[in-house]
Formats: sequence, structure tokens, C-alpha cells
Amino acid sequence: MRQFACWGLALLVVCFATPLSASELDKIVERENKAAGIKLAAAPVVGDHVFLRRVFVDLIGRIPTEAEVREFASWPEQGRREKLIDKLIADERFADRWTIFYADMLRLRSNATGGPALIAYVHNAVKTGMPYDEMCRRLIYTNGKANKVPEAGFILGDDADPLAMASITSQVFMGVRIGCAQCHDHPFDVWKRRDFYDMAAYFGKTRRYESQLTRVVYATEADQNTILWPPEGSGPDADRKPIPAKFPFSLAAFEKQPQYLARLESVRKTKAEAKAKPLAKGPSVDDLLNDTADKVAKTASGKLPEAGVTAEAKADIRKIDPSAGGYRSSDLREQLAKQVTDPKNRYFSRALVNRAWKTLVGRGFVEPIDDFRQDNPAAHPQAMDYLADEFVASDYDLRTLVKLVVTSDAYQRDHAPEATEEAARHEMEVALLATPMRRMIAESLYDSVVTAGHLFEAKHSPGKNTKVLTEIVRVPKEGAGKPTELIKTAGTPAMAMEKKGAPASAGGSYALEDAIELDFTALLKAGEDEPEVDEMKVMSKEELEAQRMTQERMMRTKMEYIEKTVTRTIDDNPVFNTSLRMQSPAPEGHFLRVFGQPNRTDLGDLRDDSASMRQALMMLNGRVIHEAARVGDLEPIAKFVMGKDANPDEAVKFAYLEILTRKPTEEEVREGKEIIVAGATVSDGVADLRWILLNCNEFRFLP
Amino acid sequence: MTIGCEGYQLSRRAMLGATGASLLGMSIPRLIAAAGKDHAAKCENVILFWNGGGMTHIDTWDPKPGRPTAGEFQPIKTSASGVQISEIFPTLAKQMHHCALIRSIAGTQGDHGRATYQLQTSYLPGPNLVHPGVGSVVAHEMPNLGDLPAYITISGLAPRAGYLGQKCEAYFVPSPGDKDPYLAFPEGIAELRGNKRLETLAKFNKRFNGDSKDERLVSTQTSIDDAVRLMRSPALEAFELGKVNKSVIERYGDNPFGRGALLAKRLVEKGVRFVQINRGGFDVHTNAFPAMRDHGEVMDPALAALVADLAESGMLAKTMIVMLSEFGRTPKINKDEGRDHWASVFSCFIAGGGVRGGQVIGSSDEDGAEPKDRPVNVPDIHASICHALGIDATKEVMTPLKRPMKLVDKGEVVKELFA
Repeated sequence: MRQFACWGLALLVVCFATPLSASELDKIVERENKAAGIKLAAAPVVGDHVFLRRVFVDLIGRIPTEAEVREFASWPEQGRREKLIDKLIADERFADRWTIFYADMLRLRSNATGGPALIAYVHNAVKTGMPYDEMCRRLIYTNGKANKVPEAGFILGDDADPLAMASITSQVFMGVRIGCAQCHDHPFDVWKRRDFYDMAAYFGKTRRYESQLTRVVYATEADQNTILWPPEGSGPDADRKPIPAKFPFSLAAFEKQPQYLARLESVRKTKAEAKAKPLAKGPSVDDLLNDTADKVAKTASGKLPEAGVTAEAKADIRKIDPSAGGYRSSDLREQLAKQVTDPKNRYFSRALVNRAWKTLVGRGFVEPIDDFRQDNPAAHPQAMDYLADEFVASDYDLRTLVKLVVTSDAYQRDHAPEATEEAARHEMEVALLATPMRRMIAESLYDSVVTAGHLFEAKHSPGKNTKVLTEIVRVPKEGAGKPTELIKTAGTPAMAMEKKGAPASAGGSYALEDAIELDFTALLKAGEDEPEVDEMKVMSKEELEAQRMTQERMMRTKMEYIEKTVTRTIDDNPVFNTSLRMQSPAPEGHFLRVFGQPNRTDLGDLRDDSASMRQALMMLNGRVIHEAARVGDLEPIAKFVMGKDANPDEAVKFAYLEILTRKPTEEEVREGKEIIVAGATVSDGVADLRWILLNCNEFRFLP
Repeated sequence: MTIGCEGYQLSRRAMLGATGASLLGMSIPRLIAAAGKDHAAKCENVILFWNGGGMTHIDTWDPKPGRPTAGEFQPIKTSASGVQISEIFPTLAKQMHHCALIRSIAGTQGDHGRATYQLQTSYLPGPNLVHPGVGSVVAHEMPNLGDLPAYITISGLAPRAGYLGQKCEAYFVPSPGDKDPYLAFPEGIAELRGNKRLETLAKFNKRFNGDSKDERLVSTQTSIDDAVRLMRSPALEAFELGKVNKSVIERYGDNPFGRGALLAKRLVEKGVRFVQINRGGFDVHTNAFPAMRDHGEVMDPALAALVADLAESGMLAKTMIVMLSEFGRTPKINKDEGRDHWASVFSCFIAGGGVRGGQVIGSSDEDGAEPKDRPVNVPDIHASICHALGIDATKEVMTPLKRPMKLVDKGEVVKELFA
């Protein structure tokens, strides 16, 4: 229920906290360009249908359906872009898409300690509109058991290593690569080695523990600070002393409180008032302790109560975070979290704004997006600060920020004209006078193919698409060892499904295109055993073989197998899930990884949008595209393809609308009809046309 | 952010053009890279066996008979005089006059992740930079021969290409001998229909791209062209082990490792520059000896057949075979009859490509615990591989953020290998 309450609140905030001053942003950009002496003309703002496709993919990670295009077209022209933005921002998939944004930034990994619950936590934070600063604070300071305390996954993901965490905290949340100062004073910036170690000291008391018995992993706090100065190897060990934590970043100082901070306070106040009245409280820990202290005092009559001891015990108990299951919380990291997320820490708001800008516009104000330093200035510092201040003023509301960006002309501009010379194009893009060509991110590309091909649901009637499968399976010889499950040997999937519930798939060898949806709600359920997660793992035949050998050795017996050929008929009705909610990052070699999803292990490993041969092979010969192109009798286009109302003209128009979100030109209709007629059947011909549209540059690059 | 190695691409393409985009790697006259050649290198291809998990050195290349650390395997004589290896390699023993061993690698990393990174790239992992694997370095520095990818990894993944860009990533063959579904049109799409689709697609892309010189658009169609060239290449038959005489397959071993070794041989014959074959299961913390016996049964025939076949055809002179792993294993045998991680000293197997066979370089102490003489640093191995290929390991390349990086991290060539 809490979720719903917050969700409502988030929407409310969006509605009244947004002054809709996108034009203000564009004015600032114009002013900055003028000051920089840029004389190039701006590309025009794109038309409605182009905007529609662009904003759908950016906000909810897929192209619009034909029904959604028609709905948009039915709205009065005046104000419909904003209406659409509001609709998409409230869409369930907005949280899915922007969890990916945070997952890249925060390096969330399903396969890291505490990773599954952490991803679910961040997803919930986006869904409920948790203020960004609050989310970050929790991630920075929380200790506890992996997965049971979701936020603790952040520190556990990097094994609570203080030096790593110092680099990560500065680079991820503030866009500063202070990590370079670990070994030497920063070559291009003000950061000294000492700054790095000061920062690391916040993590110096945090420990990662792993129970040898239960393998439960948790983070907790020790008394000893392990961060010593001077660093290892730079002097006699005896001289090395623990150093106190110190925040090396300076906060903005103002003579008079700026307006955005006043607005932040007012939004926070309104939210606090809107919150439900607090429930009647039970006795507090302090009450209980006082009670106990009294009893102790009475029992030990004749002796003075050891007031000092009690006070200390009280303080200790207060430090215990009950939700963390009794692990000690971190005072140091709480201080750090406060400093990092301080509204006066401009690094914090700028870093996030810069990342969001890069995601939506294709180019950060600062590039690379996590390398803010003195000699790497922002292209439009005032525009960036304007957005950063608005973001803070909205109580760090992601939706407000996204809306501010996508309502701006800078976002809505067309690409540079085709004939533009490379240097001029680059200049236009940097000056925000044209938007760069952007390939959809891997997840959006995948989901857009699935959307266009109607593969989220069954599209063939039962019995309309049967397939005969022949497989060679290996079964243990009778009497030889313990019978185990069948092991497929022919057409072996490159990816083996471990644990429960692997769906039988007709195209096992195409497993690199599967997406198995995670149940975020189940992952977040606290107080239960660690959730089971369908884990996909790329396992080569070799690894499977090694695994089998190990298992056999454990059983101390050699198993003998015979191979059997099995033929079965299946009703093949392929259904694909959204890739936004699958285990992430996907296994190596998966469609998503091939299209640039980062591994999220390496700090500063950003999305790679370059083209590769492997991508081409997966698009040309892959299963998702193939199935998306084929026509199912339950699809809306079927009425133009099959039966008495078949109409190739309409089929072409429909295909263009569904796949490219636009009407075809007359020439394209003629050409499309030719393709259809050349097919062995109309259905085949339409599949050919759709395959081409799904594969072409126009599909994968945002208009 | 588009990472690429444009200069390299130009030269690669120019090279292909110059040879008339010949379809068979074998028919291409030997191309010698002009740049970076500092000696008359003999080596042209590399086959790297990557044994994941940390392969025990004492039970393979560096036996310690009579010591408490010896384990249960006996050393056996080999065709190289004075060189003994573990009994788990009886067939390979007969080929050791072609092969060299380094028994004094002084590793520094005992963690799988960090050690894998270093053994595969020569660098230690650090923030904000992904170093390329040595295979990517080779793909980057040497002109492509034929139309198969320059760098192929079998039965597992290779390290990433990092700052050398996507073009230098390894092509992934999940399972040697199995049909790769992505190299042929989807099921039910006949050749004629598939080709027609490709033709129309190229037309659509051309119209969409227009005169744009935007690399992001142009490179998509280029990648499609590369893919189609590969799909249509007669050299693809190298992947089809089904047509190979059964007795040949049995000589290598009809298992993924044997098929991998055989495939690697066929691929270098078609001009593939660097093939990596992955095998896991070497992390023998428990029951090390039965596990290593099993590994021996699989590895011995495959390695022996590969060395023998390449030697017989003369390819061994220009093909280097290297077997690497993260680290060695503890001399001490633990309570579970296993051995744990040990980086202080371990061994590597290396043959061909100009390496003088029949020799052992360096040695470990009597228990196989520390290097005794001629310690070899991990990057020295990579420097030696580059040296054999005529690649200048000290050459600097620029990362996309314009940070100069040497191809190999401070490695020195192990000169004795080539003496």
C-alpha cells in the first residue's frame, strides 16, 4: 500500500512542481551559443510523428503501436506533445526503462552479491518516485545482509572495498574520477592523493562478512579504520596511521539562499504535510532501556547504577538499524551520504543531469559523462546548471527532469541535414543545434522488434504453426549410475538454464535472444529466504561437460550414456518477454550485450554504440527478427494479408506504421507491393517486407 | 561513443582489395605487415589454449618426483632429451621435441578475475580502462587473411577488445562442430529468398543513408556487408567438422576440446590469425588427481595430434601454440586431496611459430613453490607472442580518450624461446 501512496504523491509533485520552463532552457542555450560566437542555423524541431517515435523509445523503451499512433493522432494538435509526455511518464514501462538508466550508472548486476534485490529496489524507487537524493543516501550508507536488505547490495557489490568504494562514490554520484588519485596526484585536476584517502576513510570501518557455514554475506561496521596514511609503500609501515574521513569536495557557498533551494524546502514541506498522519507509536527503544535501567538500579540495591555504561548501551542500540537485521550501521557513511547528496553539492545534481541529458539528447554537456574536471568544461554550463537546479528544486524528481528535457527544443530538434559536412555536423550537435543520430539502446531495440512483431503475446492460433523437432538426447544407460535428467547434445543451447522453470523453447540454439523476466516484487520481499532467481548463464558444451565430469566424480562413478533420437511435434507460438526486466547485465554473447549493454563491472565502462559483424548476424539471421517478420493470423495486419479482404496496399501502409511509425511514400507503397507480390504467398511477401523494415537503419536509429 | 580502429580498417580493407578479396585464405600470397616488423618474423598465427581455473603446474609441466608435494602422477620421458612431463600426457610426450616449456613464470595474482585479466591482456585491471586481450592486439596489428574473422574464440569467451574497439573483438564459436545458427538464413528462408531480402535491404539502407558520411550510419551497412561476406564464404567449410574423416576426429578426441583443437587447426589454415580454445574445470580445490587424470585423457591426444599435424604440414613453423592458465596450484596438497591457488611460480607450454622445440626455460625450486632461476614475468609471455609475430609490443595506441597505451605492459621478450 505504501507504494501506491507514494506513487500518487510522485504524480502530484510532477503536476505542481514543474514550472514547464523548457523555453527557459532553450533561451539559455541560445544565449550561451551566442556568447560562444556560434553562427550556424539550428535544425528545425521535428514533426509530430517523429517526436512520437523518439519520445516513446526514450521514455518507455519501445516504439509505439499502431493503436498508440492513432490515439495520438486523435488528440487536438494543441498541447498533445505534452499530453503524451505525461502519459508516458506515468507508464509502467517508464520505471523499467529508467531502471536500466540507473543500472548502468550504479553498475547494478544481477550476478553480484545482493544484486537481484538491489535492482528490484531501484526499480521500486523509480516506480514510486523516491527522490533521487534519498535513494542515493540509502545506497551509500546501508549495511546489512545481501538481498534481505536490498540497499546493502550497493556496498556488497564491490565487496565493501574502501578504495574501490571511494572511486565509485565520486565517479558514479559526482562524475569525478578521483580514482586516478589513488596512485598519484590527478594529472589533469586538483585532486591529491590525500583527497582520495580522505574519501576512502569513510569506508574504512565497513566490513564484508561471509558466514562460512551458511554463506550468508553481509556488510557491517567495525571499530577499526583500515585506511592508513601515508599509503602503502610510500614510507615506513610504522609511520602509517589511520586517518579521519574528510569530504574533499567543496559545497557551494551563497550569501543569500538561492531560489532553487527555497523551492526545494517548500516542496519537501508540502510532501511532509501530505504524508499520512503518523501511527500511534509503541514504546521506543529508549523507553525500554530506561525501564531496564530502573530495574537494574533497583535490583542492585546499594550500588550506584552505572549510568555511563547504560548510556553507551543505549547509543549502541540506537545505531542498530532494525530492518538491517541487527548489523551495525555506518555513522561515517551516513555523514558521507549527507555530504554527497547535500543540495549545495553541485557535483551531485550536475552528474545526474549530465547523464540524463546524454541518454536523451545523445551527447553529455560534459563528455565523457563521468569525467568532470577543470580542463574538461561543459559545453553549455549554464544550461546544465539550470537543469541541475530545477532538478534539486523538484526534490530530485527524475520525472520532472526527464519532462524538462524532452519538452525542450534542444531535444526535439532534427538531425543535421544529410549533406552537412562532418565537421559542421559535429559542431551543430555540440552546440545543440541538431540532435545526433542515436541507435536505440540494446533493450529498446529488442523490445521494439518484439512490439512491432506482436511477440509479447501469441500471434498464431493454436495449431496454425506446428513444427516437428528432431533432437538427439543423451540418456544414462540403464543400470549405470544414477539416472539424471536428459542432456541434450544436438543443437545444444549456447546457454544452459540453471535452476527451476526453464521454459522449453523450440529454438534452443537461439537462447542468446531469450529474455526471462524477473519478478521484482518477489525479489523485494524481506524477511524470507533469499529469493530464487532464474539464472541464465552462458555455458559452453565444454563447461557443461566439465560440470558433468565434476558431478560424476562426486558420485565416484562413471556414467555411461546412450544417444537417442527423439522426434516431437510442437505447437510453436513464440512469445518473448521484455528485455527491460530480465537479468542484467545479460550473459556475454546475448543480444543485449552484442548491442552494447555494458558489463557494469568496470567503472567507467559506458554503453558502446558502435556497429559490429556479430550484431549484423544476429539481426539478419536471428530468431526474434525472423519471428517478428512472420505474419500471425491473430495480428491486426492479418486482415490485409489473408482472406477475402486481403489488400497489399493497406498491408504495406500498415507495416510501415507499425514498424517505422510513419506512412510510406507513394513510391514506397509501390515498392512494398512488389516485394509482397514476389513472395511465394502474400504472407511470405509481407514477412519479407517486414524483415527488411526491421533490419534497416531507419528502424534502429531514432528519427 | 564510437570506438574504432579506423586506420587499421583502412589498411585491412586496402589489403583485401589488393588481393582481389580472394575467397580462400590459402590462395592469398603471404602478406607481410610492413609496419612494426623489427625482424624477419616467421610466425603468422597463434592458437591459444586457455585453461580456466588455474592449472596445476606440478601435475602437468613441472613434476617434482619424490617430494611430498609430488602428488600421485609420475614423470615420464619425452622425445626431448632430458625433458620430463607428467604421465597424464603420454602421447604429447612423443612430440615434445617440437615444444618448449617455461617453468619459472613468477605470477603476482592469486584471484581468478585479476589473474585471468593479466594473463590474457598483460595488464592488471584498473578503473576506466578496458585493456584488450592479446588476440585483439594481433587482430589490430596484423592484416586480415581471407574472409574469416581474424580472431575466433571457441567453447567460451575471449577477453574484450577494450580500447581497440568492437572490430577487434573475437568471433564466438560456442561449440566446435555445431552449426552456428547465425551463419545461415533463418529456418524456412531459402537461399534465393534470403539473398533477395539482403539485396532489398541494402537498397533501403542506401536510400536512408543518402550522402551522409555519418560513421554511425555507414558502419551499420558495412557490418552487414562483412556478415554477408562471411555467410557466403567457402572458407566456412572449415567449421564443418561433420565432413572430416572420423579417424581424424578420433585422433584428436571426439569431445569439445579435441574438436576445438581440430577446428583451430582448420581455421589457421584458412588464415585466421588468432584462435582461442577455452576449457574450464582446472580449479581443483578438491580431488585434484582424478580431475587432472580426466583432463589429461582429453588434452593429451588433442595437443599431440595438433602439434604432429602442424609439424607434418609445415604449418608449425608459422603457427604458435600456447597454453595458459591464471596461475599454478599449491605444492601442498590440502585435506580434500586438492590444491589451492598458487601464483608464485607456474608453467606454460609453447610450441611453433619460431619457438625452438625440446627446451625448458627456467625452473622452480624443488617443491615447485618459487622460481629458482630465470624468472619470467607474466607480460613477458605476451611480449614474446608479439615478437614472434613481428609486432612491436612497445608500440603505443591511443585510447578513445587519447591516452597512449602500449600494446603490452612492460613485457620483455623471452629470447631463449627463439634462440
